[in-house]
Amino acid sequence: MTTATIIQSLASGLLMGLLYGLVAVGLALIFGLMDVTNFAHGEFLMLAMYMTFFLFAFFAIDPLLAAPLVGAAMFVFGAVAYLLVVRFAMRAKANIGMVQIFTTFGLAILMRGLAQYFFTPDYRSINVSWLGGKTISLGGVFLPVPQLVGALVSLAAFGALYFFIKKTDFGRALEATREDAGAVALVGIDKNKVFALGWGLGGALVGLAGAVMAMFFYIYPDVGASFALIAYVTVALGGFGSVFGAFAGGIIVGLVEASTALILPPSLKSVGIYAVYLLVVFIRPRGLFGSI
Amino acid sequence: MKIDRRHLLLGGAASAAVLPFAKPARAQAKEVVIGVIYPLSGASAQIGVDAQKAFQTAAELINNKYDFDLPLARDEGLPGLGGAKVRLVFADHQADPQKGRAEAERLITQEKVSAIVGTYQSAVAVTVSQICERYQIPFLSADNSSPSLHRRGLKFYFRAAPHDEMFSQAMFDFFDALKKKGKKIETLALFHEDTIFGTDSSNAQLKLAQERGYKVVADIKYRANSPSLTAEVQQLKAADADVLMPSSYTTDAILLIRTMGELGYKAKNIVAQDAGFSEKALYDAVGDKIPGVISRGSFSLDLAAKRPMVGKINDMYKANSGKDFNDYSSRQFMGLIVMADAINRAKSTDGEKIREALVATDMPGEKTIMPWKQVKFDAEGQNTFADPVLLQYVGGKFVTIFPEQAAVAEAIWPMP
Repeated sequence: MTTATIIQSLASGLLMGLLYGLVAVGLALIFGLMDVTNFAHGEFLMLAMYMTFFLFAFFAIDPLLAAPLVGAAMFVFGAVAYLLVVRFAMRAKANIGMVQIFTTFGLAILMRGLAQYFFTPDYRSINVSWLGGKTISLGGVFLPVPQLVGALVSLAAFGALYFFIKKTDFGRALEATREDAGAVALVGIDKNKVFALGWGLGGALVGLAGAVMAMFFYIYPDVGASFALIAYVTVALGGFGSVFGAFAGGIIVGLVEASTALILPPSLKSVGIYAVYLLVVFIRPRGLFGSI
Repeated sequence: MKIDRRHLLLGGAASAAVLPFAKPARAQAKEVVIGVIYPLSGASAQIGVDAQKAFQTAAELINNKYDFDLPLARDEGLPGLGGAKVRLVFADHQADPQKGRAEAERLITQEKVSAIVGTYQSAVAVTVSQICERYQIPFLSADNSSPSLHRRGLKFYFRAAPHDEMFSQAMFDFFDALKKKGKKIETLALFHEDTIFGTDSSNAQLKLAQERGYKVVADIKYRANSPSLTAEVQQLKAADADVLMPSSYTTDAILLIRTMGELGYKAKNIVAQDAGFSEKALYDAVGDKIPGVISRGSFSLDLAAKRPMVGKINDMYKANSGKDFNDYSSRQFMGLIVMADAINRAKSTDGEKIREALVATDMPGEKTIMPWKQVKFDAEGQNTFADPVLLQYVGGKFVTIFPEQAAVAEAIWPMP
């Protein structure tokens, strides 16, 4: 094993990790806001990837330009998903947790089925884009440009999110609703509006991730599944409800995955992730940065 | 409406009056039901949806009159069963062996199928064929290629197509032939997914490499549908073998080629165990990165030049699916033809009788759409006369390069 191999592994792990974080942060945000785990998160990602693909296929819009459009469209989609579906699940009188799980899980199956019906199960790819397939070589360490840009988008998104939550009125309303939805209602903040905003933001963030990933990943109706699993681990690792936790969790997952593959056979590279995850659950059940 | 005794009696009398007329009508439209199990949703749904079209094309040929020199094409339905039509019942196993088991059981007990054809994933064929064995219903692997499948002592298991040892053997024969011509092939890198397909394939290749004196410098097993293959590709790059031999389904194959490009690794040569490497989706996505890639196969459209019916049947399939036959859809098509031919000769829908007819199968290669010598099963239910071919992707399409008697072009080696 040479130094270049180790540096390459860590660099690839870091880039992937920042993307894992971007995929997971929407999940963490929604969970922190209203204690709902969105089991359709992977399907949100899938939808965003398809949007990017169709913008490219029909209007020749490069994924890089499509990213803000897809983010905006996914914001609307997230908010609508809350207003039309999740809002009603929140009204359940008994077993509210189960009702929410089944509702979002049902949404996932519905989205997957509709995608297969309308988009066909064919594997799609965007094979010619500004950044796709380009790669930078730094002394034998290769950094693929799409992932590099993805990592930058991820950093920018986290920065913007931090600013939004800490410095704007909407962000403060979000935080306040998270702490005590009842009290917030008393001061005249519409809980539904804030929740819809939260779902919209969650959708927009995973939308950005989807647009970036469409540059280098194949697209098909089930594509969300493998990323969603990692997103759940990332959120649980970083701490439920913590936006910064998702960021850190993503990087940890990416690095652990890459370094496990240096020691163990690659087919066992997820072992490292789940081992760290179990360790955290045993020692600090609320996750590394969890506040719940 | 409240149902009282008078209504009930009236209804009973009415259905009793209708029944005698209904019965002969049903007897006239006699049909043979064949179960078809494929992944119609989930990660490999695309394969299942294409397979559905291939089976429908075969059923259309069997049920209607066509002037092809293919068994059952010239008759309407199955003449051995008084012109009975073949009806297909599709079931979805989602690439999950447990779902395959349940669906096979449902097809047999609820849908009353006479035979089952499947399944794409070899791992699912394992459970489906076990259920078929228990109910004594013949099972035919249309496109499963794991060699261990026919070695389980099952009486109701059949496979008309080659398996991965035969395919791998063809690859090593090809290497030997190239070496004789003075090309340098010393080291191999195996790259395979972690279910029965990838493991069986790499085991066969490891054994052959040892026997014929090739050095395996990397043997990398990876988890199917991984979000990233960076670590795997790094090891392949470090090994930089003369030939990279992947056994991967479509998703992983696309990601493999993409990641290789990103990490600046260009394989000297790629000889693939089919699967993802015979799918249009792969070439749409990354075809430009791998000109000259070689994949094993059991079908090639080249054959249409020698056997015009291949081209015409391909056109029928293309009208249904929008795609040309590939290695999978062609084997699926033949799978149903072979099974229906046996049922026709059995003159019965009884499992044991169909099994006997399958054992007696002797279909000359010219009456198929494949480059096979013939279809004839050995004691384990494997057709040993199914000759595999190697295809090279040149100028946007596949040409047959091996074995010599089927080749239409010289192999371009090394890969451009």
